[in-house]
Amino acid sequence: MKLHEVTRLAAATGPAVLAGSAVVAAEPPKVDPAELDKAFETLKTFDWGSDPKTLSAIEQAVVATQGDPAGSTALERRLVAALGSDISRAAKDYVCRMLRTMGTADSVPVLAAMLPNRDLSHMARYALERIPATEAGTALREALAKTDGALKVGLIQSLGARGDATATPALTGLLDDSDAATVIAAATALGAIGTLQAAKALTGAVAKAPGAAKSAVIDACFRCAERLLADGKRGDAVAVYKSFTGEDQPKHVRLAATRGLLRQ
Amino acid sequence: MINQSFRPTRRQFLAGTCAAAAAPYVIPSSALGDDDRPAASERIVMGGIGIGNQGRGDLGAFLGRSDVQYVAVCDVRKGVREAAKGRVDGRYQNSDCKAYNDFRELLGRDDIDAVHIATPDHWHAIILVDACRNNKDVYCQKPECLTLAEGPKMVAAARRYARVVSGGSQRVLEDYRDVVNKCWSGEIGPVKEINVDVGPLSQLCYLPAEPVPDGMDWEMWLGPAPWAPYNKARCDGNFSTRGGSWRSYLDYSGGGMTDWGAHHFGGATFAVDVRDLQPVEVVYHADNGRRWLTYRYPNGILIHHNQPNTGNLHVVGTPGETRPPKTVPSYAGQGGIHGDFIHCCKTREKPFRDIDRAINTMVLPLMGIVAYQLERSLKWDAAKQEFPGDAEANRFLDRARREPWVL
Repeated sequence: MKLHEVTRLAAATGPAVLAGSAVVAAEPPKVDPAELDKAFETLKTFDWGSDPKTLSAIEQAVVATQGDPAGSTALERRLVAALGSDISRAAKDYVCRMLRTMGTADSVPVLAAMLPNRDLSHMARYALERIPATEAGTALREALAKTDGALKVGLIQSLGARGDATATPALTGLLDDSDAATVIAAATALGAIGTLQAAKALTGAVAKAPGAAKSAVIDACFRCAERLLADGKRGDAVAVYKSFTGEDQPKHVRLAATRGLLRQ
Repeated sequence: MINQSFRPTRRQFLAGTCAAAAAPYVIPSSALGDDDRPAASERIVMGGIGIGNQGRGDLGAFLGRSDVQYVAVCDVRKGVREAAKGRVDGRYQNSDCKAYNDFRELLGRDDIDAVHIATPDHWHAIILVDACRNNKDVYCQKPECLTLAEGPKMVAAARRYARVVSGGSQRVLEDYRDVVNKCWSGEIGPVKEINVDVGPLSQLCYLPAEPVPDGMDWEMWLGPAPWAPYNKARCDGNFSTRGGSWRSYLDYSGGGMTDWGAHHFGGATFAVDVRDLQPVEVVYHADNGRRWLTYRYPNGILIHHNQPNTGNLHVVGTPGETRPPKTVPSYAGQGGIHGDFIHCCKTREKPFRDIDRAINTMVLPLMGIVAYQLERSLKWDAAKQEFPGDAEANRFLDRARREPWVL
């Protein structure tokens, strides 16, 4: 029986069968070890203008080693070794994309070393931001002190994307930064973290926020309030909304706060 | 950083007007309106961000309306924005249209009521959320978002500030009327499944460096996407999804899967009336070398992607059964999807292609891309917006944005 016939049958009999049939029927991906070796060799000279198809065996190996801890670890070691070697920016870009999908704590040291590098910082975060290991968050937090300007903004954004509540004190301190972009990033990250502690830090920062960052800080307050409401902390959410109902607030902010109060 | 010192605000403008009113002044009929043109106070004041290709078409649609006053254009290509400014100024026979390289300057103007966005997809979420925060209604071209994590943030921003936010697929309503009518009329009975044929997926791009043309702000074009050297084929706005355009490359687009997929999946979800739902799973099939998908909705309806031996928007009902007909929804106002948006800006109704429904559509191709990349089936938790208990798949929910851009 062909798979689509299985699927049609399953559709008539129920969802559990549908999913189960497809999972059983789909063939596991395979990778040729010789092709993989060749791709890693190609990576050494890969650069802008190279054909990414010459590296496709690596992508196939990433998929093929899902659920295969030994195979995945071996592949990760090769990628980490490549990233730590003298390959081009384009090749490092490619490796970071792979580590985003399968990197573990073992990848963190080599990625962390890239964070202060203006050319490599973003792609290091591209991987680190999506690696669930706590070591990835630690590396991002530790790098805050080693960077400034746009690179620091990037780190802040990644900590927010990870919902890293342990970064709250550091992010709170950055709400006082003289750089508006840093304040915007810190506020956005705290809004994503969405805890009561984050909400208090944000509401306390509204009045002193530079003009260019004001709407981002207010927006982050509302994001926190929405999260507090969703978590059943109605009183805390109401306190946030009420702080924006005064006549000194822009009309659309007052209306947003009023809608929040009506929603709770 | 953000330049806050560009144009007078609406309040400042009005204050200036009041001061001038002490002197004799002839108010032009264009400000008061006439039989064909609403008074200035009744017009929606608009700007456009990303105004080449599709944006040029949107600009034309809004510029042609008597109930719109178009005042600003923004594009990172000097030649494109100057041509657009010339077009707007020609329409109004003045030189009032302002041209911006940085969208934040346009969004900082509080005399602008609404914007349309037709940048490459990797910019949509950042600009749309910033627009809502700045009290603007938004018409955003499809595909509305590039990652699964962006969509809910866009919907939340629209709702938080009660903005009218419309997605940009006119084809959802206009291209599949036969299928939609067949389903909504009840003539094929309860609908069980429908197929969408669309592709391909976008690809990695390592095109070689070329000189950046004069007038092109390459850093701003890249924005939140990974850094890469300029190459014309990387950023060309043509409609190819098989190379030679930004629509072909995954840092900026999901390829045909999202580009035409926004239309086809949108049409399919409209036809089988699951516009307000998201699927609970996507099943990956590897069928004799051919890969295809089945999405299952909580009400049991199935949407297939590239199912073998069927056609695009081939729908399966329940033979022998009928179902009471339902009235097919349509645009409000006059002038297609653009008119629907303007009508809703005035009435504060939800547009036909409300952002929530547009994002529900985008979940399909974006989930599908993850399933194809991982080559396996996936469960989806619509409430939590994640693949439940699936750490590998959840890595694909979002991408780190290049500094200094945040969402």
